[in-house]
Amino acid sequence: MSKTFEEINERIRKGEAVVVTAQEMKDIVADKGAKEAARRVDVVTTATFGPMCSSGALINVGHPSPRIKMSRATLNGVPAYAGLAAVDVYLGATALPEDDPRNAVFPGAFTYGGGHVIEDLVSGKEVILKASGYGTDCYPRREIETAVSLKTVNSATLMNPRNGYQNYNVAVNTGAERPIYTYLGLLRPRMANANYCSAGQLSPLLNDPHYRTIGIGTRIFLGGGVGYVFFPGTQHAPCGPRAENGVPRGGAATMALVGDLRGMSPRYLRGVSIAGYGVSLAVGVGIPIPILDEEMAVFTSVRDGDIFAPVVDYGKAYPENTGEIIGHVSYAELRSGAIEIAGRRVRTAGLSSYARAREIAAELKTWIARGRFLLGQPVERLPGAESGVVLRKLEVRR
Amino acid sequence: MIQKSVILNFPRKLVDEPLVSRVIRDCDVEVNILQASVTPEEDGHMFVIFKGEPANIGRALDFLKERGVRAILPVKNLVRDEERCVHCGACVGQCASAAFTIDKDTCQVVFDPDRCIACELCIPACGYGAVESVSDHLKRTGEAS
Ligand code: SF4
Ligand code: SF4
Repeated sequence: MSKTFEEINERIRKGEAVVVTAQEMKDIVADKGAKEAARRVDVVTTATFGPMCSSGALINVGHPSPRIKMSRATLNGVPAYAGLAAVDVYLGATALPEDDPRNAVFPGAFTYGGGHVIEDLVSGKEVILKASGYGTDCYPRREIETAVSLKTVNSATLMNPRNGYQNYNVAVNTGAERPIYTYLGLLRPRMANANYCSAGQLSPLLNDPHYRTIGIGTRIFLGGGVGYVFFPGTQHAPCGPRAENGVPRGGAATMALVGDLRGMSPRYLRGVSIAGYGVSLAVGVGIPIPILDEEMAVFTSVRDGDIFAPVVDYGKAYPENTGEIIGHVSYAELRSGAIEIAGRRVRTAGLSSYARAREIAAELKTWIARGRFLLGQPVERLPGAESGVVLRKLEVRR
Repeated sequence: MIQKSVILNFPRKLVDEPLVSRVIRDCDVEVNILQASVTPEEDGHMFVIFKGEPANIGRALDFLKERGVRAILPVKNLVRDEERCVHCGACVGQCASAAFTIDKDTCQVVFDPDRCIACELCIPACGYGAVESVSDHLKRTGEAS
């Protein structure tokens, strides 16, 4: 027996849809079997919450009188890209104020940057816009300094080129000398600790490993508001090795996400300061997966013990881009607090919040169950394992 | 008589109210202000020491909370800001004395001040400003306001 998106949406509209979180789905399938689970359940909600550097806000601040064509702009001192139309700017999550000391005194603290400006905006705060232009006949003004907020701007769109990595590396430092400060956190020497960053069995693309239902046009929970998947994310690389259950054994798919910043919340959109590395934005993403048939019930029953992540040395293999992998560990092991690598017990910590991912999955479940949120049927699928899309390395040619 | 260091965060609408003098007068608590950044129209921050009977200090904290002031009690130079904590668990991986642990049921990160040995290894691990040293916390909140 199979269902269509339209049939499921009809049930959501009538308030009859059966919606469960990915966590609950594991037990339902274990209990009743995939066939029966597929018959009973219409939608499974998945979620993740963690730092996603490839994020940013596209803002149209509006025209002053006289007008300006901004060629440089900062928001609370953080530079935004202004090489667009006159008063459009794109504020990247990892952007830093010009005068931030960065890693001059190592490790840098990176207390404030693009991610924090975005958090301030969604918190309803005013931020200071400073901009300059070279002046033209149609845009004569050369300087401006004023305060803007989500209330004053024409539009503010969260537009993230790469979010929600299907799977991710586990980082360790095999070096002997010093602790290293990476985007996966502080790694002490001689593999004293290991950090990972995925919601594992709750994570969207791990519950739809072949992108049967998540594609271009999928409506999602983004930062506390409503958003969409608008394209495969940058570095989308679905053709790597997969386990028998179809789940990739490394990075793989990514998604480009978009949504109106108005309506989002700082609970699910947080500036992050990563010592020695920089700033980022923690993004909360929730994606509903329609249980179209038995296969989708099987996919969404995947558990942490069946999902494997590669362990990578961020002391050498990662920075030098050698592609070397120390081994694979399951998310069940990672979440137990310690893993075994090369016969050694190594303490683990997550950087993605499982607690908040659970909260998002539950929230999205409520939205759908109340008929407030309909599923968006993809207009195109994301390139899959058969697409031949691979991650290219940048050759240094001269 | 006990002493307690307290960080007070005032939303801007409360900055003009004489809350500290009411703590002194109504709750019978001595207040020693170590650091303050209070400007009209902006959120205010204060680092103070309360001195008084435990019950009175409790009353003062309740009174401030009721009025909308957020009070954070540092533990051994550690400021744990519950509101900023996203429960990622990065601190747990650094904390060798199990002051930070993950609750198996809720998946939330919990902090047990009694187990904390003040090694401060957790501070650089937290990217969300949810565990900081007192001085870093005051610097950040002071600047941001
Ligand atoms: S690292 Fe910070 S945000 Fe994460 S659980 Fe610990 S205190 Fe909370
Ligand atoms: S200061 Fe040390 S003992 Fe205390 S919570 Fe942080 S890591 Fe644990």
